[in-house]
Amino acid sequence: MYLLSNAIKNLERNKSRNALIAVVTLAIVMAAVVTLTINNAAARIIDTIRLDLGSRVEIRQDFIEMRQIGLGRDDAAFVPIASFMQFAESAYLRNSVFNAAMYAWSDSFRAVDDFSETPGSTTRINDNGEVVLVETSRLVGTSEPASLADFGSFREISQGRMFENLNEAIISEELAVQNALTIGDTITLSAAYSDGIVYTLEIVGIYADRTEPYVNFFLAMNGRFADNRRNEIITSFDTLIAGGWQTNAGLDMQVEYFLADPANITAFEAEVRALGLPITYNVAINQAAFDRVTGPLAGMHSAATTFMFIVLILGAITLALISYMAVRERKYEVGVLRAMGLERAKVAFGILAETVIIAAVCLILGLGIGNAISQPIADFILEGRVATANQEISETGGANRVLFAGGQMQTDDAAQGYTPASEIQISLEVAVILQIIAITLALAALSGIIGVVIISQYEPLKILRER
Amino acid sequence: MLALKNISYKYEGTTRTIFKDVNLEFSPGKVYTIVGKSGAGKSTLLALLSGLDVATGGEIVYNGENLAKINRNHYRARQMGMVFQSLNLIPTATALDNIVLSMNISGVGGNKTRALELLKTMGISPEKSRRKILKLSGGEQQRIAIARAIAHNPPLIVADEPTGNLDKETEGKVLKIFENIAHEQGKCVIIVTHSRRVTTIADEIWHVEKGIFRRFDGNVNAPQTQKRRRK
Repeated sequence: MYLLSNAIKNLERNKSRNALIAVVTLAIVMAAVVTLTINNAAARIIDTIRLDLGSRVEIRQDFIEMRQIGLGRDDAAFVPIASFMQFAESAYLRNSVFNAAMYAWSDSFRAVDDFSETPGSTTRINDNGEVVLVETSRLVGTSEPASLADFGSFREISQGRMFENLNEAIISEELAVQNALTIGDTITLSAAYSDGIVYTLEIVGIYADRTEPYVNFFLAMNGRFADNRRNEIITSFDTLIAGGWQTNAGLDMQVEYFLADPANITAFEAEVRALGLPITYNVAINQAAFDRVTGPLAGMHSAATTFMFIVLILGAITLALISYMAVRERKYEVGVLRAMGLERAKVAFGILAETVIIAAVCLILGLGIGNAISQPIADFILEGRVATANQEISETGGANRVLFAGGQMQTDDAAQGYTPASEIQISLEVAVILQIIAITLALAALSGIIGVVIISQYEPLKILRER
Repeated sequence: MLALKNISYKYEGTTRTIFKDVNLEFSPGKVYTIVGKSGAGKSTLLALLSGLDVATGGEIVYNGENLAKINRNHYRARQMGMVFQSLNLIPTATALDNIVLSMNISGVGGNKTRALELLKTMGISPEKSRRKILKLSGGEQQRIAIARAIAHNPPLIVADEPTGNLDKETEGKVLKIFENIAHEQGKCVIIVTHSRRVTTIADEIWHVEKGIFRRFDGNVNAPQTQKRRRK
């Protein structure tokens, strides 16, 4: 007990030296708290996103990839709508969301950016050299309105409501204003790439849209106003399919299959291949979207880890040097204690006790201060990284390449519509506290062991004679 | 109580012999003074007696046990009190803490009241007892070193020039304390000194020169060669 009380008194007796050790230890503990809490929070968010995006499997015919491996449009294969439905019954899935989009033509309303004399009268020459009317809009269908891209962020219902029943649809404010359409009006349109499919839809809602009108500058320059997002008419998947679709020829099917366990993607792919899914279709998660959403967080996670290792290594070296010098300065005191008959182990215990007390105080202070500053630091770092990521997205201009095939439009920007995660909630979790305690104990042990090793080399008579 | 039997000593790594076949005996209830020129080996003798150093030949026997074979930390902490020539107090600690720590190390327990009383006996006021060693005079530090050596009531006191920094009056008081410890409390006190006055309290005075101990038998001017034991 007296060793402990003497250790406490020694802390006061050697204030300046102990203050130096405390400052270094506190700095290390604080840095460790900040980096570990940020790392933990970032990893947790990434895991959550991985569970979401990593479990979301898309089955799509990738025309751009087909082109890269030497396959042409004629090699495209089409899958019965019923097969997409059958895939959804897999035991590996917990949920499925059916999305589809098709190019539509209509002369009953004028599409945004359609500058022809009469609505729907713009023509083009097709692959067979025939003059045909070009599509005027896109009809988008979904089985899950809540999952519609951009709703909740850049799009919102400004009048009316979301569609609920068959043959109900919502349109953009721009399309409504241009054609003086209001809630309750009906519009008629037909499938541009499949004959005989005609829709008469009642407008039940009008949405405000702050997205970029065109995903690619090329589309705007070439007058592809059907690809202006203000011309999207959104309805239910059932409404869209009820038009009479048998396969996805002329239809852009974008079914999202949610795996119960992301690890089962290979097994799921084997199952759908066995059910007849052609090889030209990819069964994959949207890695690009995952990377875009988690990019800033992953960067922050990586930077925080590097920073922590640097701080730990430099801090440990500094602490070791200070401890070495501190014990050497106390050589005489050690000699006196040993000459008085205090055993070597007890002298070492006293020095270790001093180190542990300093470490314990620094641990408590470091946890408190580190926890308090972690959130603002994390916000600051993430804000910078998100800004950089957004800057890169805007500089690359989203999709660089666009390919039209079979009534589908595909871009090489698979992450389109996804934005980097920009929020992080920091909390000091038990696991982090345990890690910090382990780090602090390791630092205390390092400092203490240096003291013990040096003390073990001291012979009292030699020290006192040297003096 | 404490006996040197055929003790030889050489400094490590040298051929110079400090002692050769030294035989001495120290008994309880007596004051011994060791006198001699600087470098004669007086402090080395104290280092051997205190177990801080080990003889290169022979044995030191304490209460029938060879000092080289017992726990010398335990011996230093409990069986003896030592006043070092350079005092060897902990400079950043207070006078009181130095005493209490010594008592704790010896196992008698750090009794602050007893420590303060002892310091008062040595002429150190309670106020000065709470000052750090560095803020006390050389004389005060010497008295504190003596207080520390006797605080845990050891049967053997070994002191190296314990009155070197003291004025005559204080020296007298301190010598009286050493005398009482030996003659009234039955302890063995061994003092290395240059001071003729210190020898006045001695029951035996030994003169050391070139590693040879000679005893003054009541007459400081008539040295007597030590008895050498033959194997």
